[in-house]
Amino acid sequence: MNALWRVRGLRDLLVVIVLVFGVGSIAMLLAHVSPIDGFSALFDGAFGTWEEIAETLVQTTNLLFPALGIAVAFRAGMFNIGAEGQLILGGFAAGWLGAQVPAPAWIAIPMVLIAGALAGGVWGAIPGFLRARFGANEVIATLMLNVIAVLLATYLVTGPLIQAGGGAQETALLPKAAQLGDLVPDSRLTWAFPLALVLAFALRWVLQRTVFGYELRAAGEAPEAAKRAGIDLGRTALVAMAISGALAGLGGATIVTGVLHRFNVGLSPGYGFIGIAVALVGNLDPLWICVAALGFGILQSGGIAMQAEAEVPKQVVSLVTGLVIIALAGRRVVASRRTT
Amino acid sequence: MNGWIGALLALAALTLIKATPLIYAALGGVLSERSGVVNIGLEGILIAGAFTAVIVSGATGSPVLGALAGVVAGALLAALLAYAATRLAVDQIVAGTGLNIAALAAAAFGLVLVYHQPGASHEVPALGQTGEDALIVLALVAAVGLHLALTRTPWGLRVRACGEDPSAAESAGIDALRTRFLAVVIGGAIAALGGVFLSLGELDLYSDGMTAGRGFIALAAVIFGRWTPLGATGAAIFFGFFAALQFSLQRAGVPSEVMQALPYVAALVALAGFAGRVRAPASDGVPYIRP
Repeated sequence: MNALWRVRGLRDLLVVIVLVFGVGSIAMLLAHVSPIDGFSALFDGAFGTWEEIAETLVQTTNLLFPALGIAVAFRAGMFNIGAEGQLILGGFAAGWLGAQVPAPAWIAIPMVLIAGALAGGVWGAIPGFLRARFGANEVIATLMLNVIAVLLATYLVTGPLIQAGGGAQETALLPKAAQLGDLVPDSRLTWAFPLALVLAFALRWVLQRTVFGYELRAAGEAPEAAKRAGIDLGRTALVAMAISGALAGLGGATIVTGVLHRFNVGLSPGYGFIGIAVALVGNLDPLWICVAALGFGILQSGGIAMQAEAEVPKQVVSLVTGLVIIALAGRRVVASRRTT
Repeated sequence: MNGWIGALLALAALTLIKATPLIYAALGGVLSERSGVVNIGLEGILIAGAFTAVIVSGATGSPVLGALAGVVAGALLAALLAYAATRLAVDQIVAGTGLNIAALAAAAFGLVLVYHQPGASHEVPALGQTGEDALIVLALVAAVGLHLALTRTPWGLRVRACGEDPSAAESAGIDALRTRFLAVVIGGAIAALGGVFLSLGELDLYSDGMTAGRGFIALAAVIFGRWTPLGATGAAIFFGFFAALQFSLQRAGVPSEVMQALPYVAALVALAGFAGRVRAPASDGVPYIRP
């Protein structure tokens, strides 16, 4: 089984490469740009200078948190497509609390990160609970909760929880103590990047080496057998969704404290959706997801340079991302969704 | 007295205008899901319909040709999803999510290619008041038509059989994959009319994000309407009513976000079974793989 997956993984990788360069080239030709110029602008924009490399890693980090969360849920057979909403609410909780409560750095930073993880976790737990208690389809529930999250954050940040010093749909600037330290001077790359990597390793260990991880995977891969073996499917659904949401929410918090230094309703260009592609390309394995996140991080940061330098609209990147998701929708892991 | 009647009539008219794109998209969703394919890609199909209609109307000068092209584009996009969902038996949710992302990006890219500007197209010949009214009436006719087709015709019975138990349907001699494929494609064509209505009926241009999540509200309407054409249409009109009320209620102090969230919260409530017995078709979203 494992060997088969590895072969499939290779085939998928080939599909992704063909899509990125094939569709990318066609799109560039349509825009009257030579693919060589377009792709060199893209890669130059992603790697050309130290600052650009740092920015690529920032995008990698921003994708890594939701992608890891999505992988946990998918492995448990729960279709969390609500990472975007979980990330946004996590970001809001972090930004609001951080600006509201002054504290020294050693309290402020953990407080902000935990607030983000909690808010995302609660938002993820809601569809988990609805699934466990009422059998409500989590796909539709997370889809609806995505939109509700954006509206809720907009309402709170412009209404009851408005802060002085924030622009439209923004919280106030975080005090220095609540801002995550730079890893590379003069860049937006912070300690969030190593934190995401550590989490990926920890997650892999939990999934592969602990009883909890085993139960989670069993619930996803063979729900009937898992149920007969005494695994509480409702509980695993709830816990997997809560962890999944917490990871996405933590990602939102790191964007707020590390990158933007305040919450803005538009803080995510769809990290929660691109994260689905990252998780699928990464074969739902936390370590491969790190590699996949780097790949999509390159596309994200290089896409902006490609638009500026070679005048290829950066939507090409989203187009390719969408097609990659469609192409990889046939994954066996994902197909074994549980019906109870 | 007259003022009140006038205001009520205006509200009713605005309700229908707001509901029409939702009705088309929801009907497409109902047909698709009753055959057993969850169409998360409704939003993408609305985008494809709205965008293609504007491009073709702009190029040919004929809004009718534009509308037809929009319908064809919606059907083609649905065919892509249908092929993946039936022949390749991929996960419909993941494929639909990808479809939405790709369609939004393709339209934004297309705008830059055709009009050399991001964000919005130029103004193009639109369907006008008559066309807009005709599309509103057609939406209601389509709702009744789909209801009759699903409940009173052999084709409707076959579609529903494939949504409940495709292997039983196959043993009764129905080609489940073909039936599902056609249902999704026809559903896509119907849903695309919602996009056409938005870009050439209500307005005369395409702009990025103009569908504004209506495909997801339509999914909510499908559930709230218990997977029936008339129920989904009722739900779409209900949601349209609140969209129409939004401006007046906003003036009365109700935050617009609360109003906008209503369809989604209603769908959650319906999903959790608080709104009475709600059951999706038994094989909704489950790929059928021939033994």
